[in-house]
Amino acid sequence: MERDSSKSDENEKEEEFSDISLRPLDLSDVDDFMVWATDDRVSRFCRWNTYTSKEDAVNYIKNTVIPHPWFKAICIKNRPIGAISVIPNSGEDSCRGEIGYLVASKYWGQGIATKAVKMVASTIFSEWPNLERLEALVDVENPGSQRVLEKAGFQKEGVLRKYCIQKGSTRDMVVLSLLSTDPKL
Amino acid sequence: MERNSFKSDGKEEKEGFSEISLRPLHLSDVDDFMEWAKDDRVSRFCSWDTCTSREDAVKYIKETVIPHPWFRAICINNRPVGQISVLSYPGEYRCRGELGYAIAPKYWGQGIATKAVKLVASSIFSDWPHLERLEALVDVANPASQRILEKLGFQKEGVLRKFYIKNERTIDVVMYSFLSTDHML
Repeated sequence: MERDSSKSDENEKEEEFSDISLRPLDLSDVDDFMVWATDDRVSRFCRWNTYTSKEDAVNYIKNTVIPHPWFKAICIKNRPIGAISVIPNSGEDSCRGEIGYLVASKYWGQGIATKAVKMVASTIFSEWPNLERLEALVDVENPGSQRVLEKAGFQKEGVLRKYCIQKGSTRDMVVLSLLSTDPKL
Repeated sequence: MERNSFKSDGKEEKEGFSEISLRPLHLSDVDDFMEWAKDDRVSRFCSWDTCTSREDAVKYIKETVIPHPWFRAICINNRPVGQISVLSYPGEYRCRGELGYAIAPKYWGQGIATKAVKLVASSIFSDWPHLERLEALVDVANPASQRILEKLGFQKEGVLRKFYIKNERTIDVVMYSFLSTDHML
């Protein structure tokens, strides 16, 4: 899930939903989860393939979400409309964590992903004192997601050519990072 | 993770040893291996720590070198003077391999690492047909190693800030890549 797929357009209505909250996602959220998990427009830039069965969704929540080191549902009035997560590393790589997020397509264009990323950026470095670098890999063909991160203060470091395979082809990925010492926007 | 450690004094164009060869490193090579493995000037930019004893070296050869997906001794007259390796990744990252190399300081400044990297870059894509990207991460404080890769046609993609930890410090690295479709200079 650690591939940024939120897409927002130039005409973001910033404050329409000013109150988003982050909380753990659990099995009782499976129907809300299915709303984005079954949407090709969301899965397009994610690692996973569009879900076709509720059973697969239940397994994913049980096996990946619940034991995940840091996974939250992005909620409006406590209803999940997206998800955001951070994957830590160990040993010599423990200074780095990778952020990934998605928002149900119905809620695109409202600055929700940007808010969620800013919320994570403002707490993750205290929650994980060893973390110094929050990084994100975004498909070169997903400029909306790149903008989300730039608006949250991430710096674009470069394009990593043929970095990973997604949906059967090798992709170029933009790498962006936010350091614990960077100013938060 | 492979870290590039070759450092030369800039006088690389001397062709003192024009014939280098690559072959597997064996336990019987341990004393030659120690020449670079016990030297702080070499391990400084590598992910591994300096070997302080022959036992450490034997352990490293047994546990890391022998099971390694692609590890070679760089030899002059069949005597190892350094090492070069490519680490592979599973799953969605199998299109990438990470290059690392190290040369005993006695042999610095003679273009040996350049020759070794050229040999590897021109054969690894046939050895591993699924490989599309050979990458190298070089400490920003190691310009000599950066020059080797640039001279050969690797592309500098950017600086990844606070990317990994070495001796309790977080290090910025320059990311380089060479694609199966790129031209070696």
